[in-house]
Order: sequence, then structure tokens, then C-alpha cells
Amino acid sequence: MSSDAPKMKLGAFLMAGGHHIAAWRHPEAYARAGVDLEHFIAMTQLAERAQMDMVFFEDAAAIRERDPRLASQAARSTSFEPLSLLAALAVNTTRIGLVATASTTYNEPYGLARTFASLDQLSGGRAGWNLVTSASELEAENFVSSGLRPHAERYARAEEFADVAVALWESVETGAYIIDGRSGVYGDQAKIHPVEHHGRHFTVQGLLDSQRSLQGRPLMVQAGASDVGRDLAARTADVVFSAAQTLAEAQEFYADLKARLARFGRDPDDLKIMPGVSPIVGSTAREARAKYDALQDLIPDEVGVALLASYLSIKDLSAYPLDGPLPEMPPTAGIQSRQQLIIDLGRRENLSIRQLARHFAGARGHWQLIGTPSHIADEMEARFRGSGADGFNIMPPLFPGGLEDFVGLVIPELRRRGLFRERYEGATLRENLGLRRPTQGRALDA
Amino acid sequence: MMHLGVSLSPFGHHPAAWREEGATHRSLEVGYFAAQAQKAQDGALDFVFFADAQARRPQTELPLQTVPFEPTTLVAALATLIKRIGFVATAASGQHELYNLARRFASLDLISRGRVGWNLVASGPTPAWNTEYVEVVSALWDSWDEDAFGYDKPAGRFFVPQKMRVLDHRGEHFTVRGPLNVNPSPQGKPLIAQTLTLETIAIAVQSTDVFFVADASREQGRALVAEVRRLLDIQGRGRSEVRVLANIIPWIGATRAQALASFEELNARSSPGSAETQQGCDVIGTAADIADALQESFERGGVDGFTILPPVAPGGLDAFVDFVVPELQRRGLFRARYAGTTLRDHLALSRPRQPKMP
Repeated sequence: MSSDAPKMKLGAFLMAGGHHIAAWRHPEAYARAGVDLEHFIAMTQLAERAQMDMVFFEDAAAIRERDPRLASQAARSTSFEPLSLLAALAVNTTRIGLVATASTTYNEPYGLARTFASLDQLSGGRAGWNLVTSASELEAENFVSSGLRPHAERYARAEEFADVAVALWESVETGAYIIDGRSGVYGDQAKIHPVEHHGRHFTVQGLLDSQRSLQGRPLMVQAGASDVGRDLAARTADVVFSAAQTLAEAQEFYADLKARLARFGRDPDDLKIMPGVSPIVGSTAREARAKYDALQDLIPDEVGVALLASYLSIKDLSAYPLDGPLPEMPPTAGIQSRQQLIIDLGRRENLSIRQLARHFAGARGHWQLIGTPSHIADEMEARFRGSGADGFNIMPPLFPGGLEDFVGLVIPELRRRGLFRERYEGATLRENLGLRRPTQGRALDA
Repeated sequence: MMHLGVSLSPFGHHPAAWREEGATHRSLEVGYFAAQAQKAQDGALDFVFFADAQARRPQTELPLQTVPFEPTTLVAALATLIKRIGFVATAASGQHELYNLARRFASLDLISRGRVGWNLVASGPTPAWNTEYVEVVSALWDSWDEDAFGYDKPAGRFFVPQKMRVLDHRGEHFTVRGPLNVNPSPQGKPLIAQTLTLETIAIAVQSTDVFFVADASREQGRALVAEVRRLLDIQGRGRSEVRVLANIIPWIGATRAQALASFEELNARSSPGSAETQQGCDVIGTAADIADALQESFERGGVDGFTILPPVAPGGLDAFVDFVVPELQRRGLFRARYAGTTLRDHLALSRPRQPKMP
């Protein structure tokens, strides 16, 4: 394998004690991980030593379970607010990208663009924003009295939001601050471009108060997989984080999204597709399976079924027999792509509600790989070479052990195959992802 | 004991400070702010304060004098590097969704291990709107009992459900279900600060922990302090629950003549585009003169301490910490080292009481 062959991109998706819903109960788990800043700094520095592209944080601006008894059994009920966490990580790392989730439905564009510009300055050009439109009713109830807005309405707002954010990030050019006391010149008026936006959802005027990003502008990440979500990603995203169970699903998504780019004047390389994968690594297949089973045994049925119901965006599944199939259900106002993925898997593999609940509680709808380092590398390589992925967002079931296993066992195997870098190529997140620096004034002037 | 904070800015608080010899781009970097926060901590100051000019967003010109970071993210970063001093970040109620703001500051309070305060700019449409906003933020910070999180692995109980408070607020201006999805912090909850004005004083006395007096005129400042003390007495809020701090702009020289010369020299420089109102009271003289003025105001002016607005930076804070702080310590007016760990500890404020479970 030649050393300049294409390399896969790798993110570390950090979440409290682990991605597995019951991870915090595991004897090796650090139950307080989610509220311990030192834990997140240590995990981010571990991923950075391994030369991974980024750490990634998801978010919900609400507790995730309505029923207090169910909520109290999950470690994900509380967490750091991700943008403040990202700021804390920015000054405790030097090379790795830092990506956090924020909602276009429950923020305003000026404030959010400003906050990510600030994170980008704090990190020296390593910040990224994962744009979500927030599909949960519990989030809606923390912000508005009118409930969850329909899918199409949320996406219409997101489209305009993304454009305003880009325009604001581009409102100040590199070198705009002169600061020449002797001549009394503070700024170069030719290098500022005040935004004058009057749209359906927002009226925004003015400039950001920070210097121009070292990477042009913060990275934009998305995970929406519905038709309208794919179009938004094809137009505005630099990275798409997806969920795909099978190689065929991954290839379909990859081909579809890359094909959409041309419609927006973009090249296939301008957007990196990084599906989530939850690796459970053992020195033998049997050991890996035993690790997986030990985690699965910790899931209370009621927690798993409630989680499955939330992924299906339906209120309750407890009325149906645990060992029977999923009931028929109407299309959701929530995350449509995830609902369909679960229904398809249930039909294809003839799985009961209990089996689906356990399956999804484990990796939360993402791809699971259980086995030896070489088996896991084989599977990742097949998707990477088979046009199913440009890289992967790694979702360890358990922290710190799951990430240590991946970094210590799987990454060396990927390197032996020439599939992953030995050293960071650049200084900014965009440079390491192999993305071009965006050109000035793309969005609102177009 | 007197309380002291410092408000940091890139070049200093004087509008022409950026025209001083030595003002460079380095003052726009996080390293500069970290070094200044470290200096303040070396002086055992109570807190570092970050203003936010976002009530007037930059429109067609680059903003002068403003910190080139969004304040809450800057505080999160600095709190991991500078580990004893408190941090107060400004955020306007009209520019943050209520739940997001409550969450951001609760998270900052966890990141800093209880060293954070929110300087509220009440920029919402009406006084009633602002009042409800602050009440609900504060109530969200009470979402969890101190001992709610037990991490009981065998029982599978991450927290005790009876120790979670679902707010279910349905008010005139806000609907917020809650609970806040952030753990409680070591100081109970972030403290709330606000600049004292005649318009907001009546509302502010109910919820504010720290008042800033930002009047350039000493007489007006003293009148406001007298009024807030009167209103606090009526509310039954004692001296251990509230701090009143006056903003001071110290011009420090080796001699009085030197201090006056630097004051006049900077005032003579014009700075086009700056129409800032002065945010504090000028005090000009030697370190001993400054200490005299602070002592007089502390002992007879009804204030608990001061927020220092260095007119030039980084020299203004450096001189204050190197010369004025030791003078105050010699007089027994200021601490030599931190006694506690949280911002409430530094300010000698009592831990807020949690409301009883409904």
C-alpha cells in the first residue's frame, strides 16, 4: 500500500460513560464520567495522541426521558452544555478538531455564529458545528408553548439559519484588524462586509466581533438523512455523520449524497461522509462477544423499550408484547430516516420488540462491530474502499476502555494497512480533513 | 474584608487605550486574557469580569475595546487554566433563549467547580419579561437536590428520581418544562450580578447577588448605593447575601504628577468611532492614594469592594496587583490568599437555600 493512498477520517464520538445505554453500570465504567471535565480532557487528549480528526458531541436541550423513573436509570439525563465543554477542551488540546451539536430551532443565528467563531478562535481553527433541527418534544417543551414544529418548518428555518451563519463568519476578512495607534487606524473598512439580511425567519445586520477563522470558517457537520436533510447537507455541510447498518445502505446513502453535490456547484471531495460505528474489540472473537453480552445484560427491558420508542418517535411501546413484532405506525414528525431504518431492520431480520430494543440500546441505531482488531479493520476497510464511507465516527460502548481499545488495537491495524495517517497533515480541522478553505462570500451573495 | 474584581479588555478601558505604544494583535488572543487572569489570581482577587457590548452589535465598523470572544466560551476556557479565581461573564437576557442560558451557566459552574457568575443585562422587551426570565433561570438551577446523584450501579439508579424537580413553568412570557439537564455545582448555583440603575433597582434587589455601581460620578454612585441598601433592608436580605461593588478606573503612577500626566495624555488622544459612556469612577495618584480612596469608600461609602477597570492594559492591572493590592493587605483591608474554593466563598456569600420540594 503506498503511503499517499487515500486515508480514512476518524472521529471520536464522546458521550459520558459510553454509548451503550447501560455502560455506566458496567464494573469497569466510570459512572461520573459525564460530569467530570478531567475525563473529557483525558479522552480528547487520547484521541489527539492517536491523530484522530475530531471529537464529536451530540446534544439535546432537555432531559431525554419524560418518566422520572426511566430517566433515573440512564446516565444521559445530565451532561455538560456542549459549547462550554468545547471551549474548555480547546485550550487543553492543540491539534484535534472539536465538533459540537447545536440546534437551529432553539437558537438565533447571530448568537450561535458568534459562539462558534469564538470557539474557532479559542482552538486556533479547530471548531465545528453539527447542525440539528431538534426533533424531540421534550426539547420543544423547554422553549415554546406550541410544541414541536413540523419537520418541513424546522428545515426551512435551518436552511436560512445556515446561510446567515456563513455570511456572518465571512463578514470579517483576515487582516481586518490593523490596530495602528500612531495613525489612529483600528480596522480596514475594505475588509469588512456587514451582513444585511432580511429573510422569512431572521433579520440580521452587522458584523461578528471576532477575527476571521484560521480555517476560513468553522466546519459544518450534519446528520439529517431525510430527503430535505440530504439536500441541506449537500448544499451547506462539510461533513455528514450518518447511520447505516449494512454495506448496501451505506453505499446507497453515499452515492445519493455525493451525487447531490454537483447540483450546488460542489465536488464530491468537498463533503466527507462519516458513518457512526460502535466497535467492541476483543483479542479473540469470543472475548469480544463476551464483552458485548456483559453490556447487554445490564440493560433493563423498560429502558431499552422506552429508548426504542423514542427512536421511532412514538409515545409508548409498552402496550405491545415484548416478544412480538413492531406494530404498524404512521410516519413521524420526528427523525423520519431513523424510524424507517428501525422498521426495515425489524422486518429484514424478523426481530421482536425486545430484540430490537436491545439491539438499538447498544449502539443507538448505529453500526456495531464486535470482534478482533483485524475483523473490525476488515469491515471498516470494506466500507471505505467500497464507496460507503470517507471515514467513521467511532462510538465506543464504554469509556475510557472502549476508546483505549480502539486507539491501542484497531488504529495500529488500520495504519499497517495504510488506511490511517501517522501524523496530522495540517494545523486546522479543515486541513486535516482534506477540505479546501471555503471561498469568500458563497452563501448570501450567490 | 474588601472584595476586588477586575474587568478585562484587550487594550484597557480608556477609549484611546488601543493607541498606546505597545498595543498589538496579541491583545486579541486567548493567551493574553489567560495571562491577565493569572495576574489577577496572583493578587488573590475575587473575580475576573468580562463585559459584553452585544446590546449594541457592531454594525459597520470593527468594535473597539470589546473582548474578541463570546464571554461564556472564553470563561469556560480560562477556568480550566486559572484554577482559583472566580469568573463573571455578561449575557443579555434578550439575546439568549432562557433554557440555553441557564444551561450554559450551570455548565460553566461545573467546569469551573463553582467559580462562575452571570452578569445579567436585562435587555428583554419589558421589566416583567426580564423578571420572569431571571426567576425561571434561577428555578432551573434548583432542578436537582445537592445529593440527587448517587450513581448506584447495582440498583441501576443513576439519580434518585424523587430528588429531581420538574419545573413545569407556564408563565406570561415563558413556557419551560425543565428540569435542567446539568448537575448542580459545588457552589449550589452560579451567582447573579447586575449593574445598578434606578430603572432596574426595584426588581434587581430580589434576585441579584452582586451589584455593580458603574456611575462615573461619585455622588450619583453613593445615592444609588444608599437606595439599594434601603431596598435590601425592606426585602430582608442581609449583608451575607448581597455584595455591592463600585467600578473604579485607577490611574496609578510612581508620583501623583506622573499618574495625572498619563491620565491627561490619553484623554487628549481622540479615538474616532468610540462613543462609550464611562463605566466607572476615575481615581488618580500613587498606589497609596488609590488605597486611600478605596479605603474611604469602603469604610464610609456603603460598598463592599470594587471592580477595577484598568484604563490601559496589561500595565493597568499589573500595577494594581503589584502596588495597590500589597498596600491594601498592609492595611488589613484585603486578603493575602484565598480562603475557600468557590466564587461565593471568595465573596463571602452564603450558599443559596434550595426551595422545598413541592
